[in-house]
Amino acid sequence: MSKETRQRIASFFFWLLIIFIFVYLMFPFYWATISALKPEQELIRTPTTYFPQNLTLQNFRAVFQNGQFLRGLLNSTIVATVATALSLMVGSFAGYALGKMRFRGKSPSLYVILAMTMFPQVAILAGLFTVMRFLDLPTLASLILSYLIFTLPFTVWVLTSFFRGLPISLLHSAQVDGANMMQTFWHVLLPLTAPALVTTGLLAFIQAWNEYLFALTFTVTEPVNQTVPVTIAQFTGEIARQEPFGEIMAAAVVVTIPLVILVLVFQNRIVEGLTAGAVKG
Amino acid sequence: MSQTQQQQTEAKQKQQGLSELAKREERTARWLLLPTFAVILLIAIYPLGQVFVSSFTNARFAAPDHQTQFIGFQNYSNLLSMTIRELPVETDDEGNPVIEDGEVQYENSFRVLPSDPRRYRGVYEFSLFGNRYVLGATNQNFVRSIWDTVSLTVIAVFLETVLGMAIALTLSVKFLGRGVMRAAMLVPWAVITVVSARIWEWMLEPTRAGFFNAFFDQIGIASGNISFFTNPALQIPSMIAMEVWKTTPFMALLLLAGLATIPKELYEAAEVDGATPIRRFFSITLPLVAPTLAVALIFRTLDSLRIFDAFQVVLGEQRYSMASFAQSMLINNSDVGLSSAASVIIFIIVFSFAILYMRALGVDTE
Repeated sequence: MSKETRQRIASFFFWLLIIFIFVYLMFPFYWATISALKPEQELIRTPTTYFPQNLTLQNFRAVFQNGQFLRGLLNSTIVATVATALSLMVGSFAGYALGKMRFRGKSPSLYVILAMTMFPQVAILAGLFTVMRFLDLPTLASLILSYLIFTLPFTVWVLTSFFRGLPISLLHSAQVDGANMMQTFWHVLLPLTAPALVTTGLLAFIQAWNEYLFALTFTVTEPVNQTVPVTIAQFTGEIARQEPFGEIMAAAVVVTIPLVILVLVFQNRIVEGLTAGAVKG
Repeated sequence: MSQTQQQQTEAKQKQQGLSELAKREERTARWLLLPTFAVILLIAIYPLGQVFVSSFTNARFAAPDHQTQFIGFQNYSNLLSMTIRELPVETDDEGNPVIEDGEVQYENSFRVLPSDPRRYRGVYEFSLFGNRYVLGATNQNFVRSIWDTVSLTVIAVFLETVLGMAIALTLSVKFLGRGVMRAAMLVPWAVITVVSARIWEWMLEPTRAGFFNAFFDQIGIASGNISFFTNPALQIPSMIAMEVWKTTPFMALLLLAGLATIPKELYEAAEVDGATPIRRFFSITLPLVAPTLAVALIFRTLDSLRIFDAFQVVLGEQRYSMASFAQSMLINNSDVGLSSAASVIIFIIVFSFAILYMRALGVDTE
């Protein structure tokens, strides 16, 4: 076998592997999409069709007429946005203090926050439930507050390392110009952290958007406040009699597409943020 | 005033000025950290204490006439009491062992397990040295949920690591369309877990309307009616398949970033020395990517131990993960005490894993 043939074979297997990986990652979306586009009769046909024969938008129409689902979308948007904004605000204060200031008790604070990032949420479920009932906030506000338990420590952790990386000379020259610590923060450091804020904000948003345990537990008696994951988990159909998988798949596609777009647009930032803590470059 | 005295006073004043500045910095830092710690106190530390306290009570919610009392370790003993009993061979009226299909039949575990003061139910039967034993527990659901969650974690994390490494190594080669592949990897990671669970639920339908049954039937495995979610032997493997699909990309991304930090010269030198690709993997790649791998393993293991979404959506009350058990006790049974005790046990299990990992892998937290 000549060297060239060997290389060709190697390259053939390499591409085969790439295609295999791609299909593995993407197949469930393909399946969800074609299922959403199939009419009811084709959906329950056995054996199933690997390529849809009749396309219909019926399922998507049903999903967009489903008040519960639309409400869920709205609730999720509110909860995830506010939780993200709050953790960015509170988190950047803490990140500034931990990344750029000297004070006693700094490393214990860092350890507490690091430990919080690994906190098993279910461990506090009953207690948090009691706290929220005691505070008697509107359900969406309780959800927002609860979501800070995973968005905030993570935000603080990433922003701390970002602030630490900013040159100290910036601080000094701002001080020479007569700015106090907070002025330095607002006018000098915060604009510089914008990229880090985008990254951590995106990751926090996705986490909050995906959350199910608290959302399910806190909205158990009030369907009005359900977020998208709960709505999709408990989807009842408009058309189908049994489990309305056509509509569920349509809803799945509808909530996945914005996320996919977001992820594709910001992919470099997301990868950066995900790997920030894990890889010391 | 002599000159030295003057210098001393100046130095003192300077120091005072500095420490004044340092004090102010410290004060600012405290104020900046206050909101974060207030939040942590309110939604993590206090609830955790509350859970710990209620785990020793019979607290319930939505029960106005109910008197909450301290009941000591009763919740814990209810959750964790276990016993192992030998199963006697089932005999017919003449005292001969019953044999069906060439297999010795054993007594039903229900008859063997103690029922006083509390009923023990069979969790798991196993053979050892020719005898048959049964593991019984007063709360077979919780004991099984621990076993299921831990074994799911071990298997899923192992598969993710192997697959993730394979994908990362493939993608570390430069080729046309590498950006597309990296973007594709983010998609399963970003999709809502509940959504991915429902998609897999639909693909794993117990009839040939589902993808897997249709496909397996076509290639001659089984007859197109495998019930992935009602057959107990297939429930956990199905959950593992979902979990691995959803989380492998995260593993691969971390490993890919780790691989990127390895200097190319090392491989070139090894190639000149005639090291085989396998040798190069074990002598260069693996040791250098190990720190990243360690962090990824910790993240994934701790995450997988608290698995909830997929279990709750697909299996509901059929079979529990540790987290879905605690949630179900709280919401469906309104049993705050028992749910809290389960939470404390989960907390201890998760933290033991964390400490075990840190020790074993020698991770430094800095």
